[in-house]
This record gives sequence, C-alpha cells and structure tokens, in this order.
Amino acid sequence: MSEVITFPVMSKDESAQGVLATWFVKTGEPVRAGQVIAEVMVDKVSLDVEAPTDGVVTLLVEEEAAVSQGADIARIDP
Amino acid sequence: MDDQMRIDFYKEMVRIRTYESALQANYHADKAPAWDIGAGLIPGEMHLAAGQEPVAVGLCANLVQGDAITGPHRPHHLALAKGVDMKAMTAEIYGRDTGLSHGKGGHMHLFDPSQHFSCSGIIAQGYPVAVGQAFAFARRGTDNVAVAVAGEGAANQGAFHEALNLASMWKLPVIFIIEDNDWAISVARELATPIKDGSLRAVAYGMPAQRVEGNDVETIYEACKVAVERARAGGGPTLLEIHTTRLFGHFEGDAQAYRGDELAEAQGNDPIPAYESRLVKQGVLDEAQVAAIKDEASAEVEAAIAYAKASPEPKPSDVYLHVFA
Amino acid sequence: MTATVESAAGIRRVTTAKAISEAIAQEMRSNPEVFVMGEDVGAYGGIFGSTGGLFEEFGSARIIDTPISETGFIGAGIGAAVEGMRPVVELMFVDFFGVCFDQIYNHMAKIHYESGGNVKVPMVLMMAVGGGYSDAAQHSQCLWASFAHMPGMKVVAPSNPYDAKGLMISAIRDDNPVIFMFHKGVMGLPWMAKNPRSIGAVPEEEYTVPIGKAAVAHEGSDVTVVSVSMSVQWCLDVAESLEGTTSVEVLDLRSIVPLDREAILASVAKTGRLVIVDEDYKSFGLSGEIVATIADKDPRLLKAPVQRVAYPDVPVPYARVLEYEALPTRDKIEAAIAAVMTA
Repeated sequence: MSEVITFPVMSKDESAQGVLATWFVKTGEPVRAGQVIAEVMVDKVSLDVEAPTDGVVTLLVEEEAAVSQGADIARIDP
Repeated sequence: MDDQMRIDFYKEMVRIRTYESALQANYHADKAPAWDIGAGLIPGEMHLAAGQEPVAVGLCANLVQGDAITGPHRPHHLALAKGVDMKAMTAEIYGRDTGLSHGKGGHMHLFDPSQHFSCSGIIAQGYPVAVGQAFAFARRGTDNVAVAVAGEGAANQGAFHEALNLASMWKLPVIFIIEDNDWAISVARELATPIKDGSLRAVAYGMPAQRVEGNDVETIYEACKVAVERARAGGGPTLLEIHTTRLFGHFEGDAQAYRGDELAEAQGNDPIPAYESRLVKQGVLDEAQVAAIKDEASAEVEAAIAYAKASPEPKPSDVYLHVFA
Repeated sequence: MTATVESAAGIRRVTTAKAISEAIAQEMRSNPEVFVMGEDVGAYGGIFGSTGGLFEEFGSARIIDTPISETGFIGAGIGAAVEGMRPVVELMFVDFFGVCFDQIYNHMAKIHYESGGNVKVPMVLMMAVGGGYSDAAQHSQCLWASFAHMPGMKVVAPSNPYDAKGLMISAIRDDNPVIFMFHKGVMGLPWMAKNPRSIGAVPEEEYTVPIGKAAVAHEGSDVTVVSVSMSVQWCLDVAESLEGTTSVEVLDLRSIVPLDREAILASVAKTGRLVIVDEDYKSFGLSGEIVATIADKDPRLLKAPVQRVAYPDVPVPYARVLEYEALPTRDKIEAAIAAVMTA
C-alpha cells in the first residue's frame, strides 16, 4: 500500500509557505521506516521528515521548491 | 589557631622571603653586563613577591594538594606555599633541563600539575582558567577548589569580570583573590580603580566578598578559610581583596622612583619582622628558634640555587619538543 | 538532487552539520569527560547547527549555554582541559577571536610547550568560518592562516560531511588543542544556498579521519588544484566539468596544521602545474605557504608559474556583486586552470 508523505504543518499560520530545503534521498531509492529523508523549513524553523514505512521513495517536489504546508512531497511504495 | 600553626606560618613566610631575596641577589650578581636584561644566569624579567608572603601562606594553609591555583606573573610565593618543589622550580627559573618545564617556561610560566599549580604572564587570564578547573572539580563531585590570584590592576581587565560572572552563574567552587599591593607597575591603585574597596564589585556578580586589611597572615588565613569552606560545601565562589605590600620593584631593575616616600613607609611595614616580633613577645618563639628557622630556610634556598646552577641546560634541539603532545 | 552526490550502498546521507553533531554525540556517549560549551549551543542547537540534538540527549549539565564571555568561557574550557576533561567549545564566528585571542594563542596553544610537555590541553575549539551570503566584513572571514601561523594548535577544516564527522572524532580524541573550522557553506543548512556536496553519505558508526593528512578528492594528471573547506566543493565542480578536456587533480587539504606537505609535493611532482584555491586572504597566508613548500623543496617541479585563486587583501564587502567579485568562484578557478595549462 503506497503512503504519501506531506509537508508537515509547522506554523500557527497554516497558509504560510515553506521550503523543501534538502532531500537526503533520490527517487527510486529504498528507504527504511524512521529514516530521515528530507529537511523542511517554514519561517526559519526547520524540521526533519522521516519515512513512515519501509519502501521505495518517489520525490514529488524539487529541492529548494516553495511548498505549502500539508502538500504532498513524496510517496513510498512497497 | 594553635601555636604550632603560627610557627608554621612564620617558617613558611621566612622560607619564601629568603628565597625571593636570594633570587634577587643572584639575579643581579650574575648579570653581566648589568644593564642587559637578557644577560646572566637568570635571563629575562623577574617579578618578586617580597612583602606578599602573608597572602600565599594564609591562603595555602587552607588548601590541599588536589586544589588548584592559577597565579600571576609574580608567582613564587604562591608556588612555594602551595608545595611546588623548590629545586625543580629554581632549575626552571635558571632555564635548566631539570626545571619544571625543562627550561621551556621560565619564571612566569611555572607549571606543576601534581599541585594543580600554574601561572601566566598575561594579566588576569588565570581567572577564567580557574573557573574551568573548578568546573572539572564540581563535575567530578570532589570537594576540591580552584583559586585565582592576580593583582588589583588585573581586576580592571575584562577576563576578571567574565570569570566572576561565569563562576557565580554556575555556582562553582572557585575563590577569586585580588592581591592589592597598591601598584600596577608604576600606576597607583587610586589612578586606575575608581572604588577604594574592590570587593564591592562582587555585588555585580552575585557573590560574597571581603576586603582584608593589615597584611597579617592570621587574618588572611581566617578570611580564606571562610571562602574555601564555602566553596567546598557547594556554596559557590567568593571574592577576596587582600591588601598587601610590594617591597621590591615591579620587576628587578625597577628603580621605583615613582613611589617616593611611600617606599620607605612600605618597607617599615614589612609583615615578617612584625609577625616575628609579635610571636617572640607572645612567647610562641624564642630567638634561638628564630635563628634556626632562618638558617634552615637559607640552607634550603642555597641548596636549590646550587642544584639549579649545577644542572645541565637543555639541548638546543629540544626547542622543537613539546609543541604538541 | 544532483547526480554527483552518490550514496555508497545503503549509507544514509546527512548534512555536514548533522555529521558534526553526531560525532560529538558519539564521543559524549562513550566518554563522560566530553562536554560542549558555547553561545546558543543548547536548545538552539548552535547557530549553524553544529550541536543539533545534543541538548535533547545530554541536557544542560553537559551542553552548556554560556553568557557572551568568550575570554571567560574559552579560558574555562582550558581550565577544564588541564584537569583532564575534553571540552568542545564553540566560538560562534571565527571573526570574534579578537575578543578572546589571548586565551587561545597565549594559553590554549602554549601551555603544553611552556610546561615542558607536563600539562596537556585536550580541547576542541570549533567555529564557523566563511562567507558568500552577505554577512560582510566582521562575519565572513576564514582566517585559518592566522591560527595556523601560531604554533601549538592543530587546525582542521573539512569540506564535506564524511570528513567532518571523522575529523571531529579525531579532534576530540586528540590530546592537543584543535581548532575545528566549519565553513557555513558546507553545513548544508536549510537557510543558506548550498552546494549539493554539503550533503553526503556518512556511516552511522564511529570512525576517524586522520588530522594532518590531505585527501585526493579527484584524481588527475594535468594540474594540481590544492584547496580546503568550502572551496574544495567548487574545485570538484570544475574538475568534473573539465573531464575529457583537462585532467584535474583536486587535493583537499582537510588539515591546515599539520599541513600535508608530502601530499602537495607528490601531486605537483606528478603534474608540474599548481593552482591554489583559498578563501582566506591572499597575502601572508596559506596559499603563500603552499608555494613556499614547493620552492623550499624544488621549484623545478613547476612547469609554469603558480596560480593563486585567493581572497584579495580587502575586508569582505557586503553587496553581493562585490562579495562575489572577491570570492574564489568556479569561473576564477577555471580561468586559473586554463592559465596554468597554457603558460
């Protein structure tokens, strides 16, 4: 069952745009549950994003792209 | 305070004075040409602590081997009272391979890790280092204390203020001592420090403090005792400003013209003859014991100087050693 | 992510900042004498991320936020070190060394020598260096040459996450004072434009990278490009782009003290052409020392004059157009390689 990973909602102003600062993995790479796959930032506060399950990751946004909180950023396929 | 303790105080002060006087004599006697600071068996600068013996002796009577002292450029009284070996220290001052640092440090850079004793030629910089030693002691849960000693001039340097602030913030077992000998080289205290009582600065850093007048070894001992016991019990740092006197020049070669009549006055207030006469009057010591104490001190000092003079110099290629561990 | 950052099979990629904090964490777990002290190193995780996660794991007893008292807390680090602890002290920006340099060069660097080897100062003094983001004259310098010039302290400056972790572990274990300089541009921070080489594969277990040994980051035979820290990343970009045209050997010094003169000489002996890329000021510094290394040994190794792509002798300007005129950028590195190849 594929899982979609969304940009975390980090700020009180849910409409504030964030940035996908760094991808630590590439499309097609296997990832483990708990592995840090990205660093995101909203309003100077940054956060690590972890893979929720084992699987193969597909990136849905580019590095340094502006992303809305809650938007899809990656998918993990079994 | 029993009589034996008083006798020990007197003995140690005589020991230190004998040492400083002997160094003074030898420093000049062996310097040829006399005007050349770099010449002689003891080259370079020499800062002697004659007159300041009560501070070292009163302080160190409260300390144990595992306690630390960071001293200033005028360190001999502190080193000796702390228990640094006189022979190794003298050999270091003479720049010999048998010296504490194999001749690498000299008189202002005496290090004896077994006594946790160090000193530095940079004014006030020993205050932060003592804070760090106290930090290590507190972390390890021992009741050892660190003591930083510097002059009243040093108390105007940034490092002093930063160190007191940190020690108070972290409640560390450190005692900050200002040895106020009235002179920062040729600058009188009242021309450098706007307050008459430097212990007042402790209020700014939230720690207890005391100014100790009289240059009396017993009064100094009692004041240090309170501070050291407070630190050992986890009560944090204390600032002690101890008024003392500098009987020789700032450095050997300092004619002290700037002191005018005050110099004679200071020499008239020499703490050691005053203490000696008090002890003799009180029947704690008699003349024969005084003579024996002085002879013993002379013998020890002469032996240390002879040891130093007979010791080999380091090899020139040793200059490259000890840059890194 | 660019294809140039390959992950070794199965090894996770992290930022240089994470690699540094991981190194410190691993040493702290295995040695109770290690602790961290500095401004904003606690909950904030360090202004440039060098201590991220440490406060959460070790708490305020071992990750200590200090007042703004560099002389005070660097001196305290020295005191703790002479008593056998292993402090990792952070000076927020190398440019601040002016307020505390006495403790650094007259005390930390000299106590071992002055004591004839009897007192050790096993301390790491880490600091952020480098520019490229308009932080101007007092917050953008590199200054490794200034520290390297004074005897008694080792100086390291990693260019990538793998070396950063290994060098930090080596630095903590070293019984000598080590200046650990992390260029802000290699930290992989989310709030500063970065070269992809700031993210890299870093093994999860502890490992060391030796202090005093350079690494051949890109093998080549036509020209030797010697560099350190952030500039190595730009040198690698240029070397890769020139593959097929010019065979560029990039030597990443990794350490400035001790300087791996053997590695420099071996590479120049092979290529005969030398380009030095150094973000520290040009005159009286590292690039001149590298040239001296060749000149002292055998200037005939050189087939052409040396090209130095170094920061000019000017304070770092604020405006981006001015700053990038001064920085050792890719175009300048390429031009230097071309010049040395045709000389």
